[in-house]
Amino acid sequence: MAGGMDLGTGGGHGKKKALDATINLVPFIDLMAVTISFLIMTAVWTQIGRLQVSSSGGDSDPNQDKDDKLPQITLLLAEKEIKISVGSAQLGDAITNARDDKGQLQLVKVQDLLKKIREQIPDQTAITVQTEDDVRYEDLVRVIDECIGDGLTAVSVSPVAA
Amino acid sequence: MPIKVPGKRYGVRLAKSHFFSGHHSSAKKSTSADLLITPLVDMFVIIVLFLIANFSATGEILNMTKDVQLPTASHVKELDLAPIVVISATDVIMDGVAVARVADLAHEDYLSIPALEERLRESKKQTEELHGAAADGQAFSGDVNIQGHKEIPFKVLKRVMFSCQNAGYGNINFAVLDAGAKAAEGTKTAER
Repeated sequence: MAGGMDLGTGGGHGKKKALDATINLVPFIDLMAVTISFLIMTAVWTQIGRLQVSSSGGDSDPNQDKDDKLPQITLLLAEKEIKISVGSAQLGDAITNARDDKGQLQLVKVQDLLKKIREQIPDQTAITVQTEDDVRYEDLVRVIDECIGDGLTAVSVSPVAA
Repeated sequence: MPIKVPGKRYGVRLAKSHFFSGHHSSAKKSTSADLLITPLVDMFVIIVLFLIANFSATGEILNMTKDVQLPTASHVKELDLAPIVVISATDVIMDGVAVARVADLAHEDYLSIPALEERLRESKKQTEELHGAAADGQAFSGDVNIQGHKEIPFKVLKRVMFSCQNAGYGNINFAVLDAGAKAAEGTKTAER
């Protein structure tokens, strides 16, 4: 059996003791096999997370009083364009043709605008994403993810007012 | 004629050969072979460490199905245990029961989904009763997880969100696949 361990020479009383001791590895391998089976059976292979949002008109935010003094950031998400406004003023032009060849939304311009806003109003962490009815869920999630990534962690989602 | 030991008989020419005559071989080969356990134990240890590192104590909260392809996001939090509303490409499902059809929801102009609201209210009532009986002092959190197919239109999603809000579930969480913040940073840098 493999797995010898040197225990030294032992005492010096006449009869010589063996230098190597054999460790029985069979229980160890059994334990390993059981542990591996258990871990494989209970493993979660898909890593799923959550993006927390609130729908407009929901429970009041504890920071609401503080945020009321700050200009409100609004992002209008339509199928073909994105507009960002601070207070009542629109920031820059509307972002159009924001999709790549595969139809994926490219949010580099949005990221730049949100960073500018964060530099100007660092205390504001709330944003309202007004979404049109035909916008895909995947696009909405990408925009929310971008907002959270840029420090606007209190995201509320609302439909575009008719 | 002498009696010979049974076995291979080579021709006269080969009998003189050193190789075929068998003179080179040793007396007897051992019938047992030692098995090297060390690499096996090493491999086991590595597998165990890898699996422990990936171990999730919360387990699998969502049931993944083929009908629901989740969108991907980078800045996510860990999923909590809460009621789950599934929006597949065809149905809105809660607790394994279809409460509405997506095609119908997309055509109607109402905001509320009565069947979904009813189920959510029942779930809320049960949760509050359980906490009350346990007297653990935990207030109802109002968390709900929405497991939506990535292609569904916002018109359907807003109706589900409105129903959750009406039923008292104001903390809405979108379930997404975790792409990892580092990977996202790398992609953005490359895009620039």
